[in-house]
Amino acid sequence: MNEMNATHDQGPLDDHSRPTDTIPLPAPTAWPMVLALGIALMLGGMVTHWAISLLGLLMAVPAIVGWFFDVLPHERHVYVDVHADVIEIKSTRETLAHLPLDERHRKLLPLETFSVMSGVKGGIAGGLAMIVPAALYSLIRYHSVWYAANLLAAGGFVSWAGESNAFLAQFHLRGLLAAMAIHGLTSVLIGLLYGAMLPMFPRWPILTAGFVAPFLWTGILHSALGIISPILDQRIDWSWFVVSQIAFGLVAGFVVNLHVKVRTPQFRSLPFSVRAGIHALGDEEDKAP
Amino acid sequence: MMQTTSTIPFSAQAETPWVLPHRGVVGIACLIIAESAIFLIFVVAYVYYIGKSLSGPLPAQVLELPILSTICLLSSSFTVHFAVSALRKNDQRGCTLGLAGTVLLGAIFLIMTGREWYHLIHDVGLTIRTNLFGTTFYSLVGLHATHVVIGLIMLTIALVLSLSGQVKETHAERLDVLSLYWHFVDAVWVVVFLVVYVLGR
Amino acid sequence: MAHAPVLEAIDQTQIRRRPPLDVLYEWVTTVDHKKLGLMYIGYALLFLVIAGFEAVLMRIQLAVPNNHFVSPQVFNRLFTMHGTTMIFFVAMPVMFGFGNYLVPLMIGARDMAFPRLNAFSFWISAFGGLLMYFSYLGGDGLYGMGSAPDVGWFAYAPLTAKVFSPGHSTDYWTLAVLLSGVGSTGTALNIVTTVLSMRCRGMKLSRLPLFVWLMMVASGIVFVAVSPLTAAQIMLILDRYLGAHFFDTQAGGSAVLWMHFFWIFGHPEVYILVLPAFGFVNEIIPVFSRKAVFGYPAMVAASVGIGFISLSVWAHHMFTVGMGAAGNTFFVFSTMVISVPTGIKIFNWLATLWGGKIIFKVPMMFCIAFLFQFLVAGLTGIMLSAAPFNWQLSASYFVVAHFHYVIVGAIITSLFGAFYYWYPKMTGRMMSETLGKWHFWLFIIGFHLTFDFMHVPGLLGMPRRIYTYEAGRGWEGWNLIVGIGALFQTAGTLIFVYNLVRSYYRGEVAGHDPWDAWTLEWATPSPPPSYNFAVEPTVRSGRPLWDLKHPEDLDENYE
Repeated sequence: MNEMNATHDQGPLDDHSRPTDTIPLPAPTAWPMVLALGIALMLGGMVTHWAISLLGLLMAVPAIVGWFFDVLPHERHVYVDVHADVIEIKSTRETLAHLPLDERHRKLLPLETFSVMSGVKGGIAGGLAMIVPAALYSLIRYHSVWYAANLLAAGGFVSWAGESNAFLAQFHLRGLLAAMAIHGLTSVLIGLLYGAMLPMFPRWPILTAGFVAPFLWTGILHSALGIISPILDQRIDWSWFVVSQIAFGLVAGFVVNLHVKVRTPQFRSLPFSVRAGIHALGDEEDKAP
Repeated sequence: MMQTTSTIPFSAQAETPWVLPHRGVVGIACLIIAESAIFLIFVVAYVYYIGKSLSGPLPAQVLELPILSTICLLSSSFTVHFAVSALRKNDQRGCTLGLAGTVLLGAIFLIMTGREWYHLIHDVGLTIRTNLFGTTFYSLVGLHATHVVIGLIMLTIALVLSLSGQVKETHAERLDVLSLYWHFVDAVWVVVFLVVYVLGR
Repeated sequence: MAHAPVLEAIDQTQIRRRPPLDVLYEWVTTVDHKKLGLMYIGYALLFLVIAGFEAVLMRIQLAVPNNHFVSPQVFNRLFTMHGTTMIFFVAMPVMFGFGNYLVPLMIGARDMAFPRLNAFSFWISAFGGLLMYFSYLGGDGLYGMGSAPDVGWFAYAPLTAKVFSPGHSTDYWTLAVLLSGVGSTGTALNIVTTVLSMRCRGMKLSRLPLFVWLMMVASGIVFVAVSPLTAAQIMLILDRYLGAHFFDTQAGGSAVLWMHFFWIFGHPEVYILVLPAFGFVNEIIPVFSRKAVFGYPAMVAASVGIGFISLSVWAHHMFTVGMGAAGNTFFVFSTMVISVPTGIKIFNWLATLWGGKIIFKVPMMFCIAFLFQFLVAGLTGIMLSAAPFNWQLSASYFVVAHFHYVIVGAIITSLFGAFYYWYPKMTGRMMSETLGKWHFWLFIIGFHLTFDFMHVPGLLGMPRRIYTYEAGRGWEGWNLIVGIGALFQTAGTLIFVYNLVRSYYRGEVAGHDPWDAWTLEWATPSPPPSYNFAVEPTVRSGRPLWDLKHPEDLDENYE
């Protein structure tokens, strides 16, 4: 084994670069089996009779010694004759005599994608944008900016469940902090989702990000809100909620789209002219028959 | 349409050098991870049962800080490291010296642990059956002592071989593996020391 | 191609001419990873038949109410031995057997990193199994004949204390499991070291076949999961032999601590078994879809992720213990999180199938069944991970159905696929497709009869491990169907065993690459010579044989 390792380290220069007559392999030895049997008998004696344990010990000790001399000072090897026949490797698939098709005849994963941070930034921007309709709604309905924030925070405080609308319209530091935490975390997470999702639907980013995703999200919340936050569920105004979601979606999608895309490993397999920007990708696809 | 046939290429062209980690080092690293998990479970049991013994004697009453044996065991890490680096430079006398020092320090540690146990069992009357403290103390310290014994046996074999002049520079990797094991045993002692003699008291 | 059969002919004449004692000596002393792998597999198959027989006995006992086919004591021993055998002496050895056989071949090595340790690990696990079954013969049991362990496969304290479990039956269990644990750790160490330090030139970690990756992750879990079990067994032995008090509740010890220690092993164990099963599927599905596996880096990342998360979910087995709200919440969420990387894998397999030219040979059929069944098993797993639901159904037949869905529906099913896929490499002969299809359909129908319907009595409140039940609770019809399904599965498995034996003598000669596959093990003769590769191979991509077969369209261009 040591010899093998040595060649691993030094490279394929000496005996492994061409088929040789023999190959060193570790020599067969019975000691590992005897040692295992000895240990098993030693434990077996614990459930039967101490004499069995003694027998196990008498087997284990010579086995350890024997094993030791198998390995030290030199590992024992046997030299096995090699039948170095040539194996032909062929496929059942017939090789295509290639028509000069597209260079990239395999389907490729996206060549470029958004970095994770762009999604987070989009989420933060969207979250800020979402505050505007939410505050508008609070002002128009309850004549207080704080209503929406307190309503969101109420999910976290069980004691607020029975409070009146007037209470929720007042300013509460606790409520504001909790609302900011909930809102910030959700915004960042959703932004992350956008960053990951937008490259998958590259055609209409505004439709996907601005409308489809908010409606999906609203639907999920609509069905689950009764469990997550009953108090929010009782008082929420869904039409305003959708408006604020769309605001979030549009801004977040816009910010994510602004960012420079990151090249994926697939990009490297493109022909040089495309990578250098001499040929555009779309042109080539059009030309392919 | 055609069929392509080919064979495994015989020789690799001069590529970048192909270096892989040494198997002994990887193997001992794996062993250390597995052993750490075993020790972790025993340490968790010890910590969980601190102060849960229904009867005495309690650790604060009977345990003394084993400062001297700790110093001996920890300094044996340096001597074994010295032995390996001496062998790397093909300094066989230095290697023998380092190994002898390691065996000596390890043996002192074992003897002192044995005296502590003798004191606890004989004078104090604390055995593994006495209470939860006895159970966890003897099993954790005993597990570590078992590892010390195994390490000492292997170090002694290395020392004997080294004295008879059979340890060469080519064996440096193997001695390195043994020294890694010994470092691990020392590191475990630090944890055992902190848990049993500092936290436990 | 022309030369490969000649090589096999040489090999076989050599074997036939020698006297049986020589052959036996050769197998006992071997340190060859292929022979050890085959011994692992053969030994696991032997115990599979034994433990399967125990399962059939239990199903006969439960098929009708108020049955007295076996006595309650025998029933307790049956489920204990069935569970312990299946986990420690069937599933682990068979996975390690395939790992042993395939990992060096797949990475272009000539043997494992520590061949002698490899032999030792095999033998010590094997003797562990023998020691446990010796309990039926030896020892001074309390109940007269035999003293097989009867404390359940997780052997909760304080039932295992000397007072409640006198005699040596529990000692047999703990010693056998200890031996098996030592063997598993040794093999796992060997596999990780082999993968890291024995790869052939050019086999970077990013080019490893996924099976190798998954074996490596599973072996990594073995270090941190099996070792706690070993530690806990040492504690139990100290308790039983030296009178220590680790799990002795009379002296202030904690029974719950054993539960923690056991499940710290017990749950990752599921992943130790299922990750190699994923590995089989990862190798088979691409070859029979004629497409490269979809999302290789995501697959690797998900596997490593599963490896880490699996270490933080154990206490979902203990929701009914009462760990407090914080503990419950943590383990509910960590358990649910593990479905994310698992889901990534399922989607990647589907994406590999998508648009592929799917060939429905038997290995592929088993993999398709695996996809469905593993999905269902995962879904009931998510149901059980919710603590309130778990309080209702813990220790019911719903749980039994769930984990058998994982073990039989996912692990054993993909394992059968692996047998059909690699049997030609191991023996040089193809397994019969016709018998294989009989096996597949009988087994799958039996599986669904048994384990689909087993959920229902669980929902109706039937607890696990009961010896019998009275009529009129609405359980009897379901249990009868479950029993019938067990017979179907037995029939399928017997056909499989017959197929294994028959194909060895009568099977069609396979050649070195019957499936037109892409990994390195198909580049040597079948069965491979003891040195695996006459020339150490060099690879330039994740699919070296594809590169050789299709020089016009090299994989390396796409890395």
